[in-house]
Amino acid sequence: MTKWKFFKQGVFEELPLQVGVFPFGVIYGIMAIETGLTPLQAFLMSSIIFGGASQIVFLQLFSSASSIGTIVASIGAVNSRHFLYSASMIEFLGNLSLKWRIILGYLLTDEAYAVSIRKFMNEPPNRFLHFHLLGTGITLFLSWQISTLTGVLLGGGLPQFLNLQFIIPLTFIAIIIPMVKSFSTLLVVLGSGISALIFKNLQMDFWIILSACVGIMLGIVTSKFDIKS
Amino acid sequence: MIWTSIILCGIITFLIRFIPLSGVVSAEPSPFIKNSFKYIPMAVLTPIIVNDLSIIQNNSFFFIDNYKLYAGVIAIIVAVISKNILATITLGMGSFLIMSNFINI
Repeated sequence: MTKWKFFKQGVFEELPLQVGVFPFGVIYGIMAIETGLTPLQAFLMSSIIFGGASQIVFLQLFSSASSIGTIVASIGAVNSRHFLYSASMIEFLGNLSLKWRIILGYLLTDEAYAVSIRKFMNEPPNRFLHFHLLGTGITLFLSWQISTLTGVLLGGGLPQFLNLQFIIPLTFIAIIIPMVKSFSTLLVVLGSGISALIFKNLQMDFWIILSACVGIMLGIVTSKFDIKS
Repeated sequence: MIWTSIILCGIITFLIRFIPLSGVVSAEPSPFIKNSFKYIPMAVLTPIIVNDLSIIQNNSFFFIDNYKLYAGVIAIIVAVISKNILATITLGMGSFLIMSNFINI
């Protein structure tokens, strides 16, 4: 297979996922303007951070006047799963030049990873295999920028009674509920949620991080009780 | 402040994605680390949900007339049944708008 064929295959395999990604990008753009970001800040954040859920977390923390430390730590925590994605790609991309690894590292998001890792694992070794990830990554990047721009342009013109800020928790509910697949993940959600109520009520600094730590500890301790599939 | 935050978040996100590929960290993460990492997103996002549902206001718990909480529960039920992001957001937002604009309990 040639590099162009791998690239094209990546693009076409990534396209169906945009049904979910595009509206999410529009919602982010609308929310960013509602939260008080300038159109330039809202738009450029999509290429500087380039991470759906983490950008919404940013908006939520920014609107509640959180410190830079809390914002950066929370975004790092939300995106920490990408570390594992990257580690699992090393056997396929480890021999590439630094330039390629920088580009593909930047493009390594949830949806691009999900499509390309399947291809990498089922394809015989090929020196152009990384063009598949380039295809999935660029497709997602363009879709995210265009949808963000659409949301930014729509953002200012929507009436106040719509209370669009409420889309933030709804988006997070939609993201985390499908992750709750076991006893330990249920306890993580319950533990971090109840801790948040307690820590917030006590007006503790870094209550998000503290609550998250309680949830993660509960998950680790109880993971041995999960039923192995 | 906002540009600094955006740029720092961009740097940390890029480093998380790039460091394993860079070869600086050579070993595959241990099963313990892998197991812990999978809990992080939901452990961080849940407190934000709890905060945004306005259960705590002025240092006291707020359940009655809390349309955000009711709409959040509806969204959770939709998410459990459908596992669909758009359906969850649409029905959660729709129920919140109906309650907050048309119902006076």
